[in-house]
Amino acid sequence: MNRALPLLRRRLLSSLPVLLIVVVGSFLLLEAAPGDAVDAYLVSIGGDAGLAEQLRRDWGLDQSAWGRFAAYATALAHGDLGWSVAFSRPIREVILERLPNTLLLMGAATALSFGLGSLLGIVAGARPGSARDRALSVASLALYAVPGFWLGLVLIVVFAVELRWLPLGGVETIASAKTGIDRALDIARHLVLPVAALGMIYLALYLRVMRAGMAEVWRMDFVLALRARGLSRRRIVLAHVARNALLPLVTMLGLQSASMLGGSVVIESVFAVPGIGRLAHEAVSARDVPLLLGIILSSAVLVVVVNLLVDIAYAALDPRVGASEEQA
Amino acid sequence: MNILNMSRRGLLQGAAAIGALAALPFPVLAQEAKKGGRLTVAADSEPRNLNPAIVASNGVFFVSSKIVEPLAEASFDGLDGRLATAWEGSDDGLSVTFTLREGVTWHDGKPFTSSDVAFSALEVWRKLQNLGRVVFKDLEAVDTPDARTAVFRFARPTPFQLIRNALPALTAVLPRHLYEGTDIAANPANTAPVGTGPFRFAEHKAGEYYRLVRNDTYWGEGLPHLDEIVYRVLPDRAAAAGAIEADEVQLAAFSAVPLADLDRISKVPGVEVVTAGYEALTYQLVVEINHRRKELADVKVRQAIAHAIDKDFVVKTIFLGYAAAATGPVPKNDPQFYTADVPQYAFDVAKANALLDEAGYVRGGDGKRFALKLLPAPYFNETRQFGDYLRQALAEIGIDATIVNNDAAAHQKAVYTDHDFDIAVAPPVFRGDPAISTTILVQSGIPDGVPFSNQGGYANAEVDALIAKAAGTLDENARVGLYHDFQKLVAADLPLINVAEWGFTTVKRSSVKNVSNNPRWAVSNWADVWLDA
Amino acid sequence: MIRRLFATPEGIAGTAILVLLAITALSAPLLFPRDPLSIAGPALLRPFQDPAHLLGTDRLGRDVLAGLVHGARMSLAVGFAAAAAALFVGAVVGTIAGFAGGLVDEALMRVAEAFQIVPGFLLALAFVSIAGPSLAVVVAAIALGAWTGPARVARAEVLSIRERDYVAANRVVGMHPLEIALREVLPNALPPVMALSSVIVAGAVLTEAALSFLGLGDPNRVTWGAMIAEGRAVLRSAPYLSIIPGFALVVAVVGVYLFGEGLVEASTSRRRYL
Repeated sequence: MNRALPLLRRRLLSSLPVLLIVVVGSFLLLEAAPGDAVDAYLVSIGGDAGLAEQLRRDWGLDQSAWGRFAAYATALAHGDLGWSVAFSRPIREVILERLPNTLLLMGAATALSFGLGSLLGIVAGARPGSARDRALSVASLALYAVPGFWLGLVLIVVFAVELRWLPLGGVETIASAKTGIDRALDIARHLVLPVAALGMIYLALYLRVMRAGMAEVWRMDFVLALRARGLSRRRIVLAHVARNALLPLVTMLGLQSASMLGGSVVIESVFAVPGIGRLAHEAVSARDVPLLLGIILSSAVLVVVVNLLVDIAYAALDPRVGASEEQA
Repeated sequence: MNILNMSRRGLLQGAAAIGALAALPFPVLAQEAKKGGRLTVAADSEPRNLNPAIVASNGVFFVSSKIVEPLAEASFDGLDGRLATAWEGSDDGLSVTFTLREGVTWHDGKPFTSSDVAFSALEVWRKLQNLGRVVFKDLEAVDTPDARTAVFRFARPTPFQLIRNALPALTAVLPRHLYEGTDIAANPANTAPVGTGPFRFAEHKAGEYYRLVRNDTYWGEGLPHLDEIVYRVLPDRAAAAGAIEADEVQLAAFSAVPLADLDRISKVPGVEVVTAGYEALTYQLVVEINHRRKELADVKVRQAIAHAIDKDFVVKTIFLGYAAAATGPVPKNDPQFYTADVPQYAFDVAKANALLDEAGYVRGGDGKRFALKLLPAPYFNETRQFGDYLRQALAEIGIDATIVNNDAAAHQKAVYTDHDFDIAVAPPVFRGDPAISTTILVQSGIPDGVPFSNQGGYANAEVDALIAKAAGTLDENARVGLYHDFQKLVAADLPLINVAEWGFTTVKRSSVKNVSNNPRWAVSNWADVWLDA
Repeated sequence: MIRRLFATPEGIAGTAILVLLAITALSAPLLFPRDPLSIAGPALLRPFQDPAHLLGTDRLGRDVLAGLVHGARMSLAVGFAAAAAALFVGAVVGTIAGFAGGLVDEALMRVAEAFQIVPGFLLALAFVSIAGPSLAVVVAAIALGAWTGPARVARAEVLSIRERDYVAANRVVGMHPLEIALREVLPNALPPVMALSSVIVAGAVLTEAALSFLGLGDPNRVTWGAMIAEGRAVLRSAPYLSIIPGFALVVAVVGVYLFGEGLVEASTSRRRYL
């Protein structure tokens, strides 16, 4: 684990040029947008050209695009994400306030989809072609094709409105003064539905990949050799086939993190979860360029970090590295 | 009749009647109010600036009206005093004297005096407020002979009627001691307001909720009844209905529950649909026209478009009956200014086609006369749906409209700054006096970039002259007469087309009492609301 | 290849679904010559009540069946156009990067990486909000988030092909490197890139639906996503309005996915399990 930190730093450093491209690209994109932060603000308050001009001066929007970009980049180099005109607060604060909700949502959704997905994948892949395999295959395919927002709406109607088992949105009970374990349970209850809606499509994906991977491994020579040696099927499935099939799944985990972050935009707005996906949508509506840049940057960093963690996990799982462990 | 238990049919009749008269004051319920409890309310937008003295809009009022009070509030039979108990205009129209309420303190404990009113009027309403800059433009000074009296002095005669009509929406009073000498637009009290109202601002968690708590030192005796009001942010438009059914939210105002869902939800036990309480918050569905387009500069073409719109369909299908067809620029339910005596445009496709032929725009080989760019305002489901309908209605008369859907910022820029539209759909609010909210829609000479104003390039000297004359006419009957002429002129020349006018609906749990007991209820102070828990 | 495609149950089912959808999409103007957005009857008519509006009508009285059929056209067009754009851009960028190598390769791959670490849907959302929702913009926005996969695969393929004899021969003949890249290397690198197409098409159809759900679809065209979004407000009182197009969406995505899987299985020779 002590090797991880320098590795993390090195990885982030090598990602710097990429992050720079991300920043410049997003800046240019928003530069092309019709209407700026002042236009967005005036919608809510009304006001004339004089007010608009004054606001543009106050918010530094009267400078040229390059002037603004230079100012932004300089501040960024000093670790300052800038000031959000939409929230009248430092962007760092705004993002840090929302980030935990998204991390919680994504973390739980990943755990659910990866855990359950690989497990069901093993069940399906243990006997390729069996009725169980076919049934899981069809079910996962259907699940994969259902849009997450649609699933979310239906889950709300069934479990929050009709059955009233679970709350229909938010991250916790408002101003409930709950602490410790009570609060954790409260948050967990609120997260069940959004996690299910976000994680289902990935569950299907992991199930399919796991199953396909296992089907692949079954055909390999070493498995045939193991079977010839008379090892029990259960033992072969768990210790050898599943373990080898898990590797591509772990790689996917990294690749899917960006996509899941994108999916959380819709899920967060359906379930009223104040996370950074929804924040991004709000930033676009308010034409808050520095805020959107801050969000894109932080999600990019997040994706880089997740990929790094995945690499570490991969190294731990790779049989070429793990062979000695198996003996123990 | 208990309005809260009206049947579906009753609701529809009630909605149809919003044009005819202001709703009757409710019979006082015999039940005695219970104290305490938390009322959770659905909120679909999240204004960051909660200062109603600067931002006079319903989105801001919805939250801030419980914290910061105006001089007077609208009631079903005139005005109810809030921070002022009496008001009187001089005969020459050059001054208005307000007598202020005794024993009022700010939430931070400081006493409320006439100097707060003077400061708010001169420094905030007149200079910074979107609506106040028009109404109070001639305000020269506010004299404060004593702590309970404020005398507004105008440089030019200003109709007392206009000032009275402006009281509920334009006169939220700010604490001078927190604002004086600061940058008012950037004052921290704009996001955490301090007022004199029945509730204090407690916290705002962005993306989650606003929380207000009871003001124990409120001037209204025994008020407020509630301990807390929580505005829960539900960004998804379909969420409010479920939240009410699950009792996670007890009240959803401003039609947060879609109209199409009202019939179903009104049958859910413990849930009620209320249409009253929006009589002084009438929204108008308007087709804005860019007169820079040569086809649209022709009044015959505008008349043809007016004839092509089936207002009855709009009211019945888009608004499901919760609206009334419009006849002109002043809504039918306004008790002071409305006149029905204006040119009418019945739904008549044949006549519309004939008018277009007459104007010289005959159908081409593909059956089309000319093409238009149509920009529906994105703020309401109904404005977008009307956009979809209008495109089809125009297709019937050979006008090929392409819809451009923008988000709020891009719509603002395209229509009101860049004038990059041919026709647009707008939902302006009627604020009780044409001089506050209506004349700006047709007056010429308004600078570019003013939202919800005449940005269509329409200029008519006759209209401008009428508007100027009415602005300085003190005699109330004469002033009303001038606005009747104004309505006739606008309906005849069609600088814009008024299609429908609607109030909103409130959906609530039966446990919430004293709802909709004034014509601006959703944006009033809710001091007497209570929960029968 | 085609015979082998039909040898797999996935291939048969996928092809059947896609053919059915294609026929529906192509015959839309014949079946429903009117604009599917035109108001055809009374509003909120339930399905199977009126033979003139078999699947009922929506909030404004637009025919659901007409919308469904025309929506097939638009949703599939968006899906395939976005996938085609992503594959084309990806293949070209990947080929150039792989063939040119050095600084060009480095720069192009960094750009691809930048696109990969930004959540694709976030990018699409920002792009559509800014450029304004029209069909072309939606297609471009979806392609923006999907071209990096094909680019990587194409680059890897090119790297393995470029040293082969026939490429070297062309170089000796004096062909321009770019010409070699696009005329000789690209066509050979294409098949593995195409294998990605089914996932991209399925993803594009779903992304279009999610954008429409957030109100970012083209208002002048009917797509299934827009129909679902339109029906969402009345999810409880008229659920058929979102279930019918939602079902069509699921069927289409499953069809595309199955077809792709059948294709992959058919192209790998060993397809029997134990």
